[in-house]
Amino acid sequence: MNRLTKKLTDLKEENKKALVAYLVAGDPDIETTVELIKLLVDSGADIIEIGVPFTDPIAEGPIIQKAHDRALANDVSLKTIYDIVNKFRDLDNETPLVLMGYLNTFLSHKKLIEENQNNAIDSILVVDIPGELNLADYGITNETINTISLISPTTKKDRIQSIAKNSSGFIYYVTLRGVTGASNLDVKEINTNIDEIKKHASVPVLAGFGIKSKEDAKLLADCSDGVIIGSSIVQMIEDDSQTKEFDRIGAYITQIKQAIS
Amino acid sequence: MTTNKHNWPDKDGFFGEYGGKFVPETLMHALEELEKTYNNFKDKPEFKEQFYKDLSEFVGRPSPLYFAERLTNHYGTGSIWLKREDLNHTGAHKINNTIGQILLAKYMGKERIIAETGAGQHGVATATVAARLGLECHIYMGAEDVQRQSLNVYRMKLLGAEVHSVESGSATLKDALNEALRDWVTNVDNTYYIIGSVTGPHPYPMIVRDFNSVVGEEVVAQSKDLFNDMPNAIVACVGGGSNAMGIFYPFIDIKETRLIGVEAGGEGVETGEHAAPLNDGTPGVLHGALSYLMQNDSGQVKATKSVSAGLDYPGVGPEHSLLKDSGRAEYVAVTDKAALKAFHEVSELEGIIPALETAHAFAYLDVLMKDFDSSANIIVNVSGRGDKDINTVAEIDGIKF
Ligand SMILES: Cc1ncc(COP(=O)(O)O)c(C=O)c1O
Repeated sequence: MNRLTKKLTDLKEENKKALVAYLVAGDPDIETTVELIKLLVDSGADIIEIGVPFTDPIAEGPIIQKAHDRALANDVSLKTIYDIVNKFRDLDNETPLVLMGYLNTFLSHKKLIEENQNNAIDSILVVDIPGELNLADYGITNETINTISLISPTTKKDRIQSIAKNSSGFIYYVTLRGVTGASNLDVKEINTNIDEIKKHASVPVLAGFGIKSKEDAKLLADCSDGVIIGSSIVQMIEDDSQTKEFDRIGAYITQIKQAIS
Repeated sequence: MTTNKHNWPDKDGFFGEYGGKFVPETLMHALEELEKTYNNFKDKPEFKEQFYKDLSEFVGRPSPLYFAERLTNHYGTGSIWLKREDLNHTGAHKINNTIGQILLAKYMGKERIIAETGAGQHGVATATVAARLGLECHIYMGAEDVQRQSLNVYRMKLLGAEVHSVESGSATLKDALNEALRDWVTNVDNTYYIIGSVTGPHPYPMIVRDFNSVVGEEVVAQSKDLFNDMPNAIVACVGGGSNAMGIFYPFIDIKETRLIGVEAGGEGVETGEHAAPLNDGTPGVLHGALSYLMQNDSGQVKATKSVSAGLDYPGVGPEHSLLKDSGRAEYVAVTDKAALKAFHEVSELEGIIPALETAHAFAYLDVLMKDFDSSANIIVNVSGRGDKDINTVAEIDGIKF
């Protein structure tokens, strides 16, 4: 079974919520990314979402944009990302790995994804395609990789159904109108919308965008199957990349994990 | 049997294989809403009446098709005609599209307007129509362009718009578009995004083309009146491609007219330092559409170089990509140097200071006029006037005020 599907099924059976941690591949550098993924997992992250850097990441706020720029300065491409995940897979062959990125970088590396060396990647989320489409619609097929689709507060009911049908990993509910790292969560609206999505979706529904504190995480975990944390982690990576002392990040993840347990 | 008539985009927003709607899910509903509004209003008599009334009374249309006598003599062959979009209110073709889109914004009840701009002409045009309707207006502009087009920045401010200088990436037009899209994702409920070229996700390339096609429609009629024939060639500069698309579109099925788009060749296409994706790019997805794009092997968008802020963009409208592949239009490039030479020549020969963007179209006449005998009629689309570029050119020429 696909690692992501297995993990989400196991968590559901244990009545637990999923914690997804995001970082950008190659930020601050390739070696450190492997260590950071390991740290996130050891501190309590269930699933790792790896940002594929792109020159024009239109869905990202300033914090993650800067991380993309730092990674690009290190010449990180999908090819290097496979090096990173293969190194991680030597240490850990169970934690699900999700790639999150923009269509153009995937289109430029069709072959890499079709091969999916060592089955290292479990799922792909393409930020800039409509929710009801996936990579197969753009000529990229690999049956072992599943698809994560976005649903947002502006998605109307008729679209929710077709998107839910297409998603094979989980549904990523974007909790606000805005870019990553923004902070205008409307918990009531989120509740209503996730309830609606759950009527149609057979896969879990996770919430992400704008979750920073353990209080945010708890509120959103209560109405979903799990939460995704990105900008806060990426900011700490930036702050601590000189010293490479990342203990703070580990402690933060552990705190969030406790809050949603 | 299908006809060979050019009839794009298809219902999904594709021009052949190009175009589409590659945006984050948050924007999907807004694009559908826009498409519905446009399809609902575009053929309504009251909409057309208002659009053409505004174009006539506020913009000053139709713009003349003007015989360029001294430029013609300079080349010693054919007749060169100038489509005078530089005479429009605010000084460029960009106003045509904004007049149309602001009506859509009004019908949709949006109270906040955003736009990106490179040369500042689209920003000025947007600030102008927003002021006219009393709507809040935000313009995103790359920090480098804020510098080199400072005159237009002040014009936008005078018109009541807030200008946001964008420092990210290459700090030019592409980054201004990124930032405008981020604003739109955040404020989508009350905000209308007026895209300034035939770029972006469907339905924008279609809407901007249709509104700007008034230029080509006038040229069809004026050509009949003035030389009782269709032109042998039409030349236009191509940044995102809106002035070119607007003048080409009514001619696509008039096969005797050659359509020639001139891209920014920067230091020369062979150097890689340019902004000419149709000459030296490959298909890729940027800003919501699949089209020719300057990118590396990993799908990262390359930095561009052009003396002209309005052409300094790594992508191009998807319909141009189709016209390139089908061979219906020809796409060439001229260097910064050639454009600057044309800028001075046209100023001195015709008493018209063209925009640096437009100067690229003029520069190609050096090559093109060799193809024609004296009976030929060649039209240059004068997409805008050059007042905004005075500082840039003076600096290049080493002149201090
Ligand atoms: C005068 C003028 N011409 C041309 C352009 C290029 O845009 P497009 O290719 O969309 O016509 C601009 C853009 O700013 C402009 O100001």
